[in-house]
Amino acid sequence: MKFTSRIAQALVAGAAIAAASVCAQDIKIGYNADQSATAVADLGMAGRWGFEAAVEDINKSGGLLGRKLVGVIRDDLGSPPKSIQNMTELIDNEKVIAVIGPANSGNALAWLHIPQQQKIPVIVPIGTATEITLRYAKEPQNYLFRVSMVDREQVALLGAYAVKASKTGKIAIMADTTGYGQGGIKDATDILALHGVKPVAVEKFGPKDTDMTSQLTKIKAAGADVVIIYAIADGAAHTLRSMEKIDYMPIALGTWGNLSSVLPRIAGNKLADHLILAASTTEDSNPRAKSLGERVRKNYPTMTTFACAAQSYDSVMLLAAAIKLAGTTDGEKVAAALEQVKGVQGIIKTYDKPFSKTDHEGLSVSDFYLARWQGPNVVRFQDAVTKAFTPADFKK
Amino acid sequence: MVAILQAVLSGLALGGVYALVALGFNITHSTTKTFNFGQGEFLVAGAFVAVSGLLLLAGKGITDPLNPDDVTLLRYAGSMVISMVVLGLLGVLLYYTAVRPFVGQAGLAWVMSTIGFGIIIQNVALAVWGPSAVVMPSPLGNDVIRVFGAGILPQEIMVLVASIAVMLCIDVVMRKTKIGKAVRAVAQSMDAATLMGINVSAIVVLAFVVSSSLAGLAGLLIAPITTASVYMGLTLALKAFSAAIVGGLNNPRGCMLGGFLLGLLEALVGLWHAELREISIFMLIILVLALKPEGLLGQRQVEKV
Repeated sequence: MKFTSRIAQALVAGAAIAAASVCAQDIKIGYNADQSATAVADLGMAGRWGFEAAVEDINKSGGLLGRKLVGVIRDDLGSPPKSIQNMTELIDNEKVIAVIGPANSGNALAWLHIPQQQKIPVIVPIGTATEITLRYAKEPQNYLFRVSMVDREQVALLGAYAVKASKTGKIAIMADTTGYGQGGIKDATDILALHGVKPVAVEKFGPKDTDMTSQLTKIKAAGADVVIIYAIADGAAHTLRSMEKIDYMPIALGTWGNLSSVLPRIAGNKLADHLILAASTTEDSNPRAKSLGERVRKNYPTMTTFACAAQSYDSVMLLAAAIKLAGTTDGEKVAAALEQVKGVQGIIKTYDKPFSKTDHEGLSVSDFYLARWQGPNVVRFQDAVTKAFTPADFKK
Repeated sequence: MVAILQAVLSGLALGGVYALVALGFNITHSTTKTFNFGQGEFLVAGAFVAVSGLLLLAGKGITDPLNPDDVTLLRYAGSMVISMVVLGLLGVLLYYTAVRPFVGQAGLAWVMSTIGFGIIIQNVALAVWGPSAVVMPSPLGNDVIRVFGAGILPQEIMVLVASIAVMLCIDVVMRKTKIGKAVRAVAQSMDAATLMGINVSAIVVLAFVVSSSLAGLAGLLIAPITTASVYMGLTLALKAFSAAIVGGLNNPRGCMLGGFLLGLLEALVGLWHAELREISIFMLIILVLALKPEGLLGQRQVEKV
């Protein structure tokens, strides 16, 4: 089934490419993210359909600069080499003028230099690593933008909650050994230090590990009553399962990647509900979000990661606004225009000058909140601690 | 104390899987002096065939997602048969295409050919089932069982029990039955075995069938714990191979011992420093190879001239 539908997709994509190359006047933008391989594939899929919905809407309202907008979709299988290959292929062969993607932060970090050197603006709709928009921040023009959760910001939120919710003041960090997890340990330790807290234990596990009982036993022995788990959904799910094994159920805080349905599938509903995670937007936040959710579900009925669809959609809208403002598709001018756009109506909010020369983050901690799985859906999580939050709590 | 008991339980569950796969190495090595370097990929195939078997028995398509209700004990047993038969057939194919042409030749052509065969299997699995991990719910549910405060999943107990049962079974067959004696005769000397009227090529094919079916069984048993993924084979096979080396490649009991030893070592070292788990395993191998190259329970190979 999957196989044949993939062939069909490939054929459709092939036909689309052939048709597109006929009318050279089209404006092409790329979408490059994992849509099949890792635990973030759920996020990449939602992003893809959000991207396509935005392209469709722009064409319905007359296209860009009098030309048609065409989306070129690539799946990077969550692997950095494949993602790099996709980027060069999109830029050199497809001649896209901008790229939306990727889903895995590690993949973005692997190819940031390519769009930066080729002057192709990139808006990251999913990947959350703090470094993505910072690496080239000191260059005359930084080509990397983001409309997504940001690690540093989600840690600010999780850290604030951890410090307030912990009764003993003992907080532990559990992270996988990938670049994502290691970056998370650094961010979380820094943020906790701002609150004057030093983690009582920092434990690591391999990305393929399924039994974390030894690490958790040490965390338990250290007396932590809050554990920040920095891993994508499968790692977090196995950590929860191991917590249950050793009968240790501290307050567990997880990252935004746990929006993936992989979490409840591996951990089961009961354990998945235990995790409190950082989220960016939900389908019930406004009527525009609701209608986008319905549109995306037509193509992707099992979507649980609506935030990615909304962020992708908004990325394309911001890009379109910048192209209109620049009056050209020239990468350098579009990137500069992105730092000027204002009053862009998106799904999540109206973006009023979201980017500046120094800040390339479209969303920030004030747009984020905590959430929790409840059966098949993710819902907003509120308790006495979250209600008592003040902006000063979000140290970063 | 509970911490150590927990580590021991986790280690035994892990070790059971290593032991099962290590046994697969032992069976073919003792008959042909070769083994399947693609055993890890066979394990992957075993896990995915089992997933598809379960789906077929539940009346769904072979690549649909698997729900907990789809997995009953009866269907699990059915898919075990499917997985072991399919993998057994793959073992026959492996023997005739990748091992037989090179058996008895000097050089390591069979190493390359079995690795190659494994890669082919891995890529076929990738094309059919895709690269994402597939969750296989355990037929015994996910409720943790408490043993003096330490927790263990029912599936982990099943892995432990099944691997010990299979090992005892093979141990008895090898020592007590006619066919087992034939296998050991072939292992000793193919020529002498032929002269004694043993159908050597049948025994050798049988060895590959059993070894591959064991990979199929191992895949089915561990999928509910680790999730079935196209990329899970290599690490597991490497650890199992290490287990066989530590315990003694030519002794089935040694392979079992090696498997459990490695599992326990991994879990106990993890209690101290999780990063040192892999290091300690390979240190142990170097140590064993230096002090007792034939493995802890292995017999020294004496060439009589």
